Amino acid sequence: MTDVILEKVGKTYPNGYHAIPSVDLSIEEGEFIVLVGPSGCGKSTLLRMVAGLESISTGELRIRGERMNDKEPAERDIAMVFQNYALYPHMTVYDNMAYGLKNRGMPKAQIAEKVSDVATMLGLTELLQRKPRQLSGGQRQRVAMGRAMVRDPKVFLFDEPLSNLDAKLRVQMRVEIRQLQRKLGTTTLYVTHDQVEAMTLADRLVVLNKGKAEQIGTPMDLYNKPATPFVAAFIGSPSMNLINANLTEQGVKISEALTLPLSHAFRGGIVWGIRPEHLEVSDEQNADFALRIQAVESLGAETLIHGKLETESGHGEPLVVRLSGPHLPDINSLMWLRAPVSHWHLFDANTQQRL
Amino acid sequence: MTVTFPQKVLPWLLLLPQLLVTAIFFLWPAEQALEQAFYQEDAFGLSREFIGLENFADLFTDPLYYQSMLTTLVFSFSVAIVGMSLALLLAVMADRIIRGKLAYQTLLIWPYAVAPALAGVLWWILFDPSMGPIALWLKAAGVNWNHYLDGNQAMILVVIASTWKQISYNFLFFLAGLQAVPRSLIEAAAIDGASPFKRFWTIVFPLLSPTTFFLLVVNLVYAFFETFGVIDATTKGGPGQSTTTLVYKVFDDGFVGLDLGGSAAQSVVLMAIVGLMTVIQFRFIERKVQYS
Repeated sequence: MTDVILEKVGKTYPNGYHAIPSVDLSIEEGEFIVLVGPSGCGKSTLLRMVAGLESISTGELRIRGERMNDKEPAERDIAMVFQNYALYPHMTVYDNMAYGLKNRGMPKAQIAEKVSDVATMLGLTELLQRKPRQLSGGQRQRVAMGRAMVRDPKVFLFDEPLSNLDAKLRVQMRVEIRQLQRKLGTTTLYVTHDQVEAMTLADRLVVLNKGKAEQIGTPMDLYNKPATPFVAAFIGSPSMNLINANLTEQGVKISEALTLPLSHAFRGGIVWGIRPEHLEVSDEQNADFALRIQAVESLGAETLIHGKLETESGHGEPLVVRLSGPHLPDINSLMWLRAPVSHWHLFDANTQQRL
Repeated sequence: MTVTFPQKVLPWLLLLPQLLVTAIFFLWPAEQALEQAFYQEDAFGLSREFIGLENFADLFTDPLYYQSMLTTLVFSFSVAIVGMSLALLLAVMADRIIRGKLAYQTLLIWPYAVAPALAGVLWWILFDPSMGPIALWLKAAGVNWNHYLDGNQAMILVVIASTWKQISYNFLFFLAGLQAVPRSLIEAAAIDGASPFKRFWTIVFPLLSPTTFFLLVVNLVYAFFETFGVIDATTKGGPGQSTTTLVYKVFDDGFVGLDLGGSAAQSVVLMAIVGLMTVIQFRFIERKVQYS
């Protein structure tokens, strides 16, 4: 069953700024959708439009078939977790969680029961009488989630909820959020700028760029078949190597001296891409090209090698290679690489669409 | 942060102007008042006689003094509460409007720049029973306004005149306080199903409590000690004693009644009250509620 539908939803601010031209998205019940993109791409605006905190300029938002454009946030049966948690500082954890239920006129005994259920689930029982300032970042985050969960809403909205936590806690909370969402089966819309977070949490991802949905799909769809160079660069870390080239009869012409053989009907300017993890070390005979090594990042489990394509002129394109395990090649030495055709990504340079 | 000066003379030199002002206009008069409180002096200041605590004894057995104390309390709390309520209302409205915000705020801040005596004269004219426009409207509406005869009306007049100036000050602080309330809290409350009215009373107002408490103390201190000009220009403490606050009584007894010793004793009592208020202010405001 389709739970949330965004139909040609757009946002224009009173000053004429066209933040979001038009986004179409339909979310299935229980689905975890992540909106991801760089800052200023309109992902938070889109989320706030679903929440009712920003007006919808054009298009229509429906939740369970009901048009929501003109409904107040409280009438949409959604719950939101804010980036700064937005806990009421003068209320205890209990009161923070009970506030929404009280406002809806739920009997006291039932409120107490609901809050204690959720507190147990989140491990907050000990903290119910504390004020937010007496909690650690991770605990506050949990209270914010508890406040959302206790109301049993149709849709959860998360606005970069993990960005104020340290890296270790972030990973831990990421896993927790995913597990909770699975358990509760509540439809979720989650905003982040962190592509790792997006990839690990999402059933489906929406990559936003300048207010436009560049691609909507499962994390693996986006990784394997990015629709545009923007998505290709955004998904995956380190990001995909993208090089401007020309498609000719001989193949992909990267520079005067370097053409990678390929037969393809398209002719003209393209963006040629390959992920750092798909480049293979080779010997001189079998190699497609050579890399002049400039920097080596050893991470133990993997090694990232930064360099430039070796050309006669010496002005090669920058390229990153990701090798598993430790490697210690010399800086400025040459590394022979093979780029298997099956891992190539080709995009039309003009339309920015995948070929 | 501490700034260390390389030598000892310069800092004292820099402090000197303020120290001189404090010494000449505060410490010396205070010392004079303390001394005079223990003497009885003739009206021309030609001779005086040490009488110990007699001035204080007279003071604390004088029903008029207690009357004046009550007047001061009624006056001060009225000024503080009326001034703060109106200022909060205006600040909430100013916080909401988008167009013309600056003009609105500037206009609201203006009264603060008007000298107390001028403010008093302004209201005195507006409410003058025989020619003041407001008094005439009130008469047309069936209210017999004459603050020269009716003590309650006189009190209302001084409260209005004193409050009017203070609203600007309160407004500024409330506006700043409102702007410091994170937007996301209001949004979270909206999603939690609280009406705008409820949002204000359950979220915004509690978060403003440090500001409210600070303003309460400041307004009380203002109404206690800084409204002499307003009262002198509007009612001169009358009719009878109905608007004679403690500060006005010091002036009235000392410079009109020429009881310098009694007036000095009253000043000493006021000094003690100021001291107490200062302690309260520092105690509570320094420790004001911190929200993270």
